[in-house]
Amino acid sequence: MECKEIREMISAYVDGEALPDEARQVEEHLGTCAECRSAEKRMRMLGMAVTRTEGTVPPDFRENLFARMEEEELLPKRRSIFAFSVRWAAIPLAAAAALALYVLSPPGVREGTDSGKALAPPPASVSVQKSTPVAAAREELSPEDREIVAYLEVLEDPDLFEEPPVDEMEIFVPSAKQRG
Amino acid sequence: MKSDAELMALYRKGSRNAFEELFARHHRKVIHFCYRMTGDHARAEEAAQEVFLRIARAASTYQPTARFTTWMYTIARRTTLNFLRDEKEEGEKVPIHATGEEGDPAEGFPLPGPADWGPEQVAWEGELQARFAEALQRLPEVNRAAFVLNRGEGLSYEEVATVLGITVQAVKSRIFRARETLLEELSGLIK
Repeated sequence: MECKEIREMISAYVDGEALPDEARQVEEHLGTCAECRSAEKRMRMLGMAVTRTEGTVPPDFRENLFARMEEEELLPKRRSIFAFSVRWAAIPLAAAAALALYVLSPPGVREGTDSGKALAPPPASVSVQKSTPVAAAREELSPEDREIVAYLEVLEDPDLFEEPPVDEMEIFVPSAKQRG
Repeated sequence: MKSDAELMALYRKGSRNAFEELFARHHRKVIHFCYRMTGDHARAEEAAQEVFLRIARAASTYQPTARFTTWMYTIARRTTLNFLRDEKEEGEKVPIHATGEEGDPAEGFPLPGPADWGPEQVAWEGELQARFAEALQRLPEVNRAAFVLNRGEGLSYEEVATVLGITVQAVKSRIFRARETLLEELSGLIK
């Protein structure tokens, strides 16, 4: 094969893209043709030259791009640290509210729960006294925070963990009991 | 580590972190490609910004079946092509389809082979890089794109064919022509 005809194959061979039969032909030719061996070497050098032709990343490239993307609403804005803090401040706030609730509660209320009467409805007067600070504190909290406060109240008073008496069979076969 | 396609899916759902990760992975490649295609650092930066904006705008059209980098380079090539066309229309000297005849072929600057690189290596490399970058810009755009995508960006002939919308045989031919032209232009530097 003439050198001119095989040069395109050599180019593909240099790129690792020659078909097996083409690669065989190229290798045979290179074994006998010094001019094409030189061409092959120069082709490889061009590949090295292009990898060394590199752009530069300006220091403000990222900031400029992200600012443009935010302007076009292509990129959600980062949450500020302040907003993040307020969100997580809800938990200690809820804990503090619960603690204040406990401390401000009349002793009678706390004793009532300690004496095993947790499940009994509290006296109306106590209920009013207790509901005032509770309502004030809870009005400032979101439903999610109020749920956290409720959990904290339970944790503060282990007796509240006591479940009402339940028929175990009811748990497993509720429909049977209903039918009975 | 999440794949590019997974990151794109997360970005489409509104994840900023996913886009930041994609940017971190690919912004250097995009800037290098834009520089190789435009031959100018400022234009390359501007084009690269545009590439990422287009990626973000077109995120909803990305199909995970396509390799992300192929899709990205398709956008990058179209973007640089638009830049070059716009500048040509504005009358700037951006030879997109020049044959190189008006160029100044490298003169007999002695070129040692890689195995023989010695103290003059740095000077030679500087000279070669400058001449090479100029010669690259004188190639027809499609030949340059094919050569740069394959040799510079590491895409296979098949991937280059996808990016350029031509056949693999056409890619083979364009890369060969790019090489022939570059070797002719740099005949004094690369021996």
